[in-house]
Amino acid sequence: MQIDTAQLTALAIEIAKILAAAVCILVFILLVVLYVVLKLRWVIARIQSRLGPNRTGPWGVLQTVADAIKLFQKEDIIPRGADRWLFTIAPAIVFIPAYVVYVVIPFGKGLTVRPLDVGVVYVTAISSISIIGIITAGWASNNKWSLLGAFRAASQLIAFEVPVILAMCIPVLLSGSLNLDVIVQKQAGSIRDWNLFNAFPMCQIACLMLLIAGLAEANTTPFDLMEAESELVAGFNTEYSGMKFALFFLAEFAEAFTLSALLVTLFLGGYNPPVHFLGGGLTGYWFSLVSLVWFLVKCWLVVVLILWIRSTFPRVRIDQLMNLSWKGLVPVGLANLLVTGAYVGLWVAR
Amino acid sequence: MSPETLQKKFLKGLTEQFPDILGKLREYVPGQLIAVLSRDELPKVTKYAVNQLGARFVITVATDQRDKTGDFGISYILAFDEEKQFLVLHSNLPADDPRIESVTPDVPAANWAEREAYDMVGIVPEGHPDPRRLVLPDDFPAGIHPLRKEYEYNTRFPSEPQNAPPRMPPPEGSTVVPLGPFYPTLEEPAYFRLFLDGERVVGSDYRGFYNHRAVEKLGDSELNYNQVPFVAQQICGICGQVHSCAYVEAVERACEIETPMRAKYIRTILLELERIHSHLLWVGLAGHIIAFDTVLMQLWRIREPVMWLMERVTGNRKHYSSNLVGGVRFDITLEAAEDIRRVLDKVEEEFKAVVDAVLIDTSLMARLKDVGILTEENARALGAVGPTARGSNVAIDCRVDHPYAAYDQLDVQKQVQDGCDCWARTLVRLYEVFESIRLVRKALDQMPGGPIMAKIDGSLPADRIGLCSVEAARGESHHYVRTGDNNRPYRWRLRAPTYPNLQAVGCMIQGVNLADVPICIGSYDPCFSCTERVETLDVNTNEIRVYTREELQELSRRKTLG
Repeated sequence: MQIDTAQLTALAIEIAKILAAAVCILVFILLVVLYVVLKLRWVIARIQSRLGPNRTGPWGVLQTVADAIKLFQKEDIIPRGADRWLFTIAPAIVFIPAYVVYVVIPFGKGLTVRPLDVGVVYVTAISSISIIGIITAGWASNNKWSLLGAFRAASQLIAFEVPVILAMCIPVLLSGSLNLDVIVQKQAGSIRDWNLFNAFPMCQIACLMLLIAGLAEANTTPFDLMEAESELVAGFNTEYSGMKFALFFLAEFAEAFTLSALLVTLFLGGYNPPVHFLGGGLTGYWFSLVSLVWFLVKCWLVVVLILWIRSTFPRVRIDQLMNLSWKGLVPVGLANLLVTGAYVGLWVAR
Repeated sequence: MSPETLQKKFLKGLTEQFPDILGKLREYVPGQLIAVLSRDELPKVTKYAVNQLGARFVITVATDQRDKTGDFGISYILAFDEEKQFLVLHSNLPADDPRIESVTPDVPAANWAEREAYDMVGIVPEGHPDPRRLVLPDDFPAGIHPLRKEYEYNTRFPSEPQNAPPRMPPPEGSTVVPLGPFYPTLEEPAYFRLFLDGERVVGSDYRGFYNHRAVEKLGDSELNYNQVPFVAQQICGICGQVHSCAYVEAVERACEIETPMRAKYIRTILLELERIHSHLLWVGLAGHIIAFDTVLMQLWRIREPVMWLMERVTGNRKHYSSNLVGGVRFDITLEAAEDIRRVLDKVEEEFKAVVDAVLIDTSLMARLKDVGILTEENARALGAVGPTARGSNVAIDCRVDHPYAAYDQLDVQKQVQDGCDCWARTLVRLYEVFESIRLVRKALDQMPGGPIMAKIDGSLPADRIGLCSVEAARGESHHYVRTGDNNRPYRWRLRAPTYPNLQAVGCMIQGVNLADVPICIGSYDPCFSCTERVETLDVNTNEIRVYTREELQELSRRKTLG
């Protein structure tokens, strides 16, 4: 068989690119999680009239690094009676989807790893895989609290998958594409072109829905039912320690950042600058760089909003949460989808 | 008996049913009637008084008095709150046959009290529906009742693990989920076995008393009158002033000591400050339980100046060591009074802001309203006290019903809510903080000058009985003192407010969601260390294995050393 050297070289370069992208994303996730956890502590400390971390490194910036190092040193405990094999792979099942989702996120102009044409579908499909990991963890731990946490996770995540998809359909309809890059490009221009400030009130409702349902999916207070400390000890990860626990932790905060990235991409103009003169006129690599900065700034603002919400609400109860999804968000989302569809079909398309 | 007492309504009801009781009633101390009855009469009178005359069951006191009269004594203490009266029904039981008919089938509030009387002194409650071991450790030898006089306070008993009380079998088809003995939101050891159907609680069983510290035994055997208050204040990390104050007032009443008015006012002020910081702490903890940590942090920040005040007045943030029989040790100077007023102004202003925010917070209400229902009938039947009772529309408050210290001169307003749920109990506590601030200011205004300590000559008279109920932040803390020879109490019995409230929990969490169990338990402000006072501990770490203390120590050493 004839081996085409050019093809082989192209394949090698492609593999190298993929590996480089994978490492970049991993490093990015690690840095983001380290920062978000630190920011979480600072924001919550300020809201609670405390100081927060301020001892390790300048302004305490090394606190989460120190905590991470501590976690790596912890004894890795597998309880007697646990299913060792499932217990070990469960954290990976939770973490890998949270990691792989980043493939389609447009960090900046031309800074998407793979601008898939089914980007939105890909995100929802991949992120729902992590439920399986959580259920596996709860089951394999052989602990009642873990199992209860896993039950809750199953019902909660399935319940909120629906409103998340319903909310994401609105910008998809408006821009006529499932490709996240295209959705962002349709919002180019100034702040008035962002989805959040168009198609009143459908987009605003959808944005709020995505925020609420996304918080529930990302398992943050007030929706952190599956590991509710005061109710379930630590829920599905009660028996986990050391590196395995760190993976759960990493996945949780990576998901929280994914949520803010999605909100930014779908509703807040993605990497586009808010006004034209702040980088809108640039081209090439310069625009890629500026757009990356804008993307991160917007994500940062959404993350702060999420942390703010986190410290100002008590945890809702499981039945209240179910009611919120099935009796509140789902009907509203369906109606919203209908109205938007009619609006796009009868108004925009003409 | 004083003429006023003779006019009281409950007495008419009692004498109608039991004509010959009138001749047996004695009133040595105003407000405290004592009757010595036969062992057949006692349960009958108790049941009648509680179920027909509306008495509230307080506690039983079992006494080993074999060295004096050759028999055992048992006293059932009842309270007629509206008529400001205690009634002590006492019976002497022969040493070789100490048993009495149980009143628990008709008076459910007596459940634990009778079991404890058996555990500690060996008075058998005949016909008790649930005569399992209550306060003694799981591996305590059978047939030994440590509060009997033949055992020293420091006697060590062999471990006999086979004596663990049987566990209540769960209902068909339910799952047992252990809440405790060590559970993240309840800081103290308590072991609830919850029977769950899905996430709904269909039943529960409680095993507690892991914190026994032999306090009553010490009081009976080792300490003299003025040493007890310093031990009593350490019963609880929060209501230390309550316990020491209740004890000294009980002794003062028994021995007719005239405490100076100024001392009584100082006790009152410290008690109210203690209530303020306790309620502030509770609101914070309640927030923590429903994952609202911002409330926790803010409330504890507001609370801190009150702790500073306590240190300013007594030298200690906790364990004030202020009370002695006959008075107090630390005066409140003019400057300290100014500080108290200044700090309270600030606390009131800041707390007002919190309360205004809490009262309109719908997400908080969603977690607290209609959760953990304790109906008025159940609250009365199970003898609930304090904010738990007042949240269920039971208007009892010892500061009004059985005034002590200087409360009879302060016109306390009872805070009562009729919601019967966690929200109602929260409201009671929120409003009580403002009431307490008002009381402290009023007490500072009215406080007379003069000495802070009564002069006491010689030893105190023996064989007298004094009762005192102090309204702690959690409810009525009841102390019973029987004086003895050599300036030492003969029997000192105390009952913390969590004791009756804890018995009401089973009823409160029946049918609620698992997620609501911690806030239900939290909503009566449990204080396990108050409730549990007697011996060493050992712990159930899981359903099957029971570790002894030595094994646990060994385990933890192995773990630590690697």
